Amino acid sequence: MNWTKVERPLFTLLIGVVLAGAMLVSLEWPVRASIIILVLGAIGSALIIVQLVVDIKSAGKSSQALTMEAPAVKTDSRWGTLEIWSWIAAFFAAIHLVGFLAAVPLFVFSYTKTYGGGWLLSAALGALAGGFVYSLFNVLLHVPWPTPLIVSLIS
Amino acid sequence: MLEAAIEGLQSILTPYSLAMMSLGVFIGSLVGFLPGIGGPTTLAIMLPFVMVMKDPVTVIALLVGMDAVGNTASAFPSILISVPGSAGSQATILDGYPMAKRGEAARALSASFMASLVGGIVGPLILLASLPILRPLVLAFSSPEFFVLTLWGLAMVGVLSGNAPVKGLIAGILGVFIATVGLDMKSGIERFAFGEPYLWEGISLIIVALGIFGVPECIDLASRKSSIAERHELGSGFKEGILDVFRNLWLTIRSSAIGIWVGFLPGLGSSVADWFAYAHTIQTEKNTENFGKGDVRGVIAPEASNNAKEAGSYIPTLAFGIPGGTSTALILVAFTAVGINPGPDMLTTQLNFTFAIIWTLAIANIIAVAFCMAFVKPIAKCCFLPFYTIVPLILVFVFIGAFAAHFNHYDLLALLVFSALGFMMRRHGWPRAPLLLGVVLGTKMELYLWLSYTRYGVEWLLRPGVVILFILLLASVFYPIWQGRRGGVSRAAEAM
Repeated sequence: MNWTKVERPLFTLLIGVVLAGAMLVSLEWPVRASIIILVLGAIGSALIIVQLVVDIKSAGKSSQALTMEAPAVKTDSRWGTLEIWSWIAAFFAAIHLVGFLAAVPLFVFSYTKTYGGGWLLSAALGALAGGFVYSLFNVLLHVPWPTPLIVSLIS
Repeated sequence: MLEAAIEGLQSILTPYSLAMMSLGVFIGSLVGFLPGIGGPTTLAIMLPFVMVMKDPVTVIALLVGMDAVGNTASAFPSILISVPGSAGSQATILDGYPMAKRGEAARALSASFMASLVGGIVGPLILLASLPILRPLVLAFSSPEFFVLTLWGLAMVGVLSGNAPVKGLIAGILGVFIATVGLDMKSGIERFAFGEPYLWEGISLIIVALGIFGVPECIDLASRKSSIAERHELGSGFKEGILDVFRNLWLTIRSSAIGIWVGFLPGLGSSVADWFAYAHTIQTEKNTENFGKGDVRGVIAPEASNNAKEAGSYIPTLAFGIPGGTSTALILVAFTAVGINPGPDMLTTQLNFTFAIIWTLAIANIIAVAFCMAFVKPIAKCCFLPFYTIVPLILVFVFIGAFAAHFNHYDLLALLVFSALGFMMRRHGWPRAPLLLGVVLGTKMELYLWLSYTRYGVEWLLRPGVVILFILLLASVFYPIWQGRRGGVSRAAEAM
C-alpha cells in the first residue's frame, strides 16, 4: 500500500483541523483578540478544501519539486528516518534525565561511534561538543540549567 | 558637511577605535556563525560594559561594528548545514544549501560574502544620500500603510511557494496563527496558551526556524548516510562566486536597496529583508527554474539585502530616535548613555557622529568579509565530512539554539513539535518558507490592523498610500500567476 496516497490528504486535513479548532477557540474572545484569526482562518479553511480536492485528485503522484524548496524527503528511506527520529528522541530524553552538560558529549560520542567513527574520533568530538557547551553556556553566559531528573530523584 | 565627514573618518581611523571595531566585528561574526545566539542577545550582554565608556566614538566603533556584520558570517551555517545563523539569513538556505550539496559550497560562500560586502557598502552610501529625501516619506507612513506593507509580505507567499500557491498561502496563515500564541497585549486575553505559562510569551521565532528547517535537513542527511556534499570536491567556485556578484551587480544593488528600505521602516525587522529580496529576485529575473535547487542569485540577493538593511535601520534611529529594530533599540540606549542624542541633532550639531556611524558600517563590513573570506576554504571542507561527524554536532547546535530561547525544557519540546511539522511539510511538498514568514509578520500585521481600525475606522482603506500599496500587492500576487499560466499555455501549445 502506498502510504503517501493516504498521508498527503491526511496531513492537509490535520492542518485544516488545527485552523478550524483555532477559530472555534477564538470565538470566545473579544473581537480585538480574534479578528485576525477569524478573517485569515476563513480564507485558510476555503484554501484547505481546495487543497484537499487537489490532494485526492493527484493521489499517487509524487510531490512536485517546489521552486523555493529542497526536494521532498524520499519516502523509500523510511527506516533511516525512523532511526534518526529515535536518536533525536533519545537525545531529548537524555537532556531531561542527565542534563545538557552530560547529554551532549554522551550523544555525540554514541552517535559517532555507532555509525563508523573510531574510538579516538568519537571521544574527541564528544569532548569538543561538551567543552563548547560548558565554556559558552556555563563559563561565559552563566546559564541557569534546569535540574536534571536524575539529580532530583537522588536528592 | 565635508568637514564632518572627514572628522568622522578621522575619529574612526585611530588605532584604538579600529581595535574596538575589530573586536566588535569578531564578536559579531562569531555570534552570526553560531545559530541560536542572536545579535540582540549579545548586544544586551555588552550594554553594561559599554555604558561605562566615556568616548562616544569607541561605543560607535564597538557596537555598530558588531551589529553591522551579524548577517555576514551567518551565511556559514545557512549554506553548509541548512541552519540559519541569524534571523536575517533564512532565505540564504534555499539556494545556498543545495549548492553546498552539489559541491559548490566555496562558490556559494564567496558569492555570499562578496554580496554582503557590496550590500554593506551600498547601504551606508544610500543612507548618506537618502537621509534628506526619506525623512518626509517615513513621516507620511502610518499604521494603515504599515499594515498593507505586512500584508504585501504575506501575500508574497504565493510567489515564494512557486508552483504550490495554495499550500503556500495556507502555510502563511498557519504561521500567523502561530504568531498569535501567547498573551494578547491589547485585550489581556490568553491565546492558545491553554493555561501554560511557558506559552504566554509566545513561540520563539528561532525555535520555529530551527524546527522547520534545521531538523528536517538533518534527518535527510542522517537518512542518506552520506556527507552534506553529494560531490566530493570543493570545486573551483571560490573565484566564480566573487565573479557571480559582479555578473549580477544590478541585482545586488537592487537587493541592497530593498534591504535599506526594509531596515528604514521601523518595526519590520531583520528577518524580512532577505525574503523580500528573494521574492523580488524570483519575480524580476529571467530563467528562474533553478531557484530552490542551487541558483547563486538566490544567495546573492538575500545576503546583499540583509547587510544593507543594517544601514537602513539607522535612518529612523538617528533621524527620529525611532529604532528600526531590536538591535538598534539596544544601541540607542548605549548612544543616549554616552551623550549621543538621536534626532535632529544628528543632522546638525552631532553630524560628525552620524558620519562616524556611516564609516563604521562600511569599514566593519570590509573587515568582516576579509575575515570570512580567509576561512571559506577550510570551513567549506566540512561539507565533505562523513555524516556521523556532522549530524550529532548539528543536532547539538539546534537543541542548544532552541534551548537558548528561554532556557526552559519546554523549548526543546516546542522544537520537537516544529521539527515534526517541518518534516511532514517537506515530506509532502509543502513550502516551509511562507510559514516562517507568517510567524515573522503575524504580530505586526495584527497590531497595525487594530491601530488602523481604531484610529481611522474603515476610512483607512481609502488613504492614497494604502491604495498604491494595495495595487502593488495585487500586482505582486497576480503577475506571477498570470505569467505561470501563460508559460503553461505556451508549453501546451508547443507540445501540440
